[in-house]
Amino acid sequence: MNNYGLNKSMMNFNMNNTISMNNNSNNNLSGLYTGYIRGNMFPNLYDQYKNYQPMNINPRNEKEQYLLDLNQVQFAMHDIHLYLDNFPNDRSMINEFNKNRELYNDILKDYENKFGPLEICSDSLNRNPWAWNNEPWPWEGSDK
Amino acid sequence: MWLYQKKLQYPVNIKKKDLAFAKQLVTQYGGFAGELGAALRYLNQRYSMLDERGKALLTDIGTEELAHVEILSSMLYQLMKDATIEELKEAGLASHYAEHRRGLYPVDARGVPFTVAYFAGTGDVLADLSEDMAAEEKARAVYESLIDLTDDPDIIGILLWLRQREIVHFQRFKELYEDYKRILNKKTI
Repeated sequence: MNNYGLNKSMMNFNMNNTISMNNNSNNNLSGLYTGYIRGNMFPNLYDQYKNYQPMNINPRNEKEQYLLDLNQVQFAMHDIHLYLDNFPNDRSMINEFNKNRELYNDILKDYENKFGPLEICSDSLNRNPWAWNNEPWPWEGSDK
Repeated sequence: MWLYQKKLQYPVNIKKKDLAFAKQLVTQYGGFAGELGAALRYLNQRYSMLDERGKALLTDIGTEELAHVEILSSMLYQLMKDATIEELKEAGLASHYAEHRRGLYPVDARGVPFTVAYFAGTGDVLADLSEDMAAEEKARAVYESLIDLTDDPDIIGILLWLRQREIVHFQRFKELYEDYKRILNKKTI
């Protein structure tokens, strides 16, 4: 487990777990893990299909745990980003965006230092041999 | 421009080969409600948006759809990995093998190739945003049909997630549509 405290046990997996926003916004946000596995950070927009529940993501090693942390923070940032495109004056959502953005940048840097580059501008590419090509590529799954 | 990030937006780890399902799933890659059409539709429509909100939203949802193209492609790759010619023939994929071997190719569930006609664009923001709302609903409906057609939890989890994104995108397009409609009505009075 890593230092970000985002793993499932600490996120207290709970479908009703929301972060309260201030009164200027009518939107609550789901917790990071819940929002990510649902594919929707906004509990008021969540729409369940039949009786299907979102799939839990169970990391099998440190790399997958880091990737889950990175993915859930990136997802929160992205879903808030789409909301802000339409509502650019929602100050509390801008704060939420920036909280996640800072966390994301920290996790990204740590991930790339430990496991190699995700982006071509990563500091982790300053070494020999060239690390960009290293497998696995994203479509190959975690068994590769 | 676009920068590539070497990971998926949502993980794809399908353990069981399933050619028959791949043959249906491919429609969300290259079919009328597929992710490829969605990405190109929004990125192509953004040039006629009314203001900075629309330019941003179509750019950003279009970009996310490219990540969904990659998720779909990864699913198809893993579902078809290591398929023998006999297995491909049995699943009705002999014609796919003849033309594309084991490579990916954007077609619908009946094998009809992707066509640019799937990404309608009129240059009219209200027509285009209603098209986009309908496109998200169509994709949601097809994801539901696909979920109904499989019992593999590795597949269902991903399809549920992609379906939920259609719901969020629909909401964002609807908000923009309603606001643009209000603005345009005001101008004509």
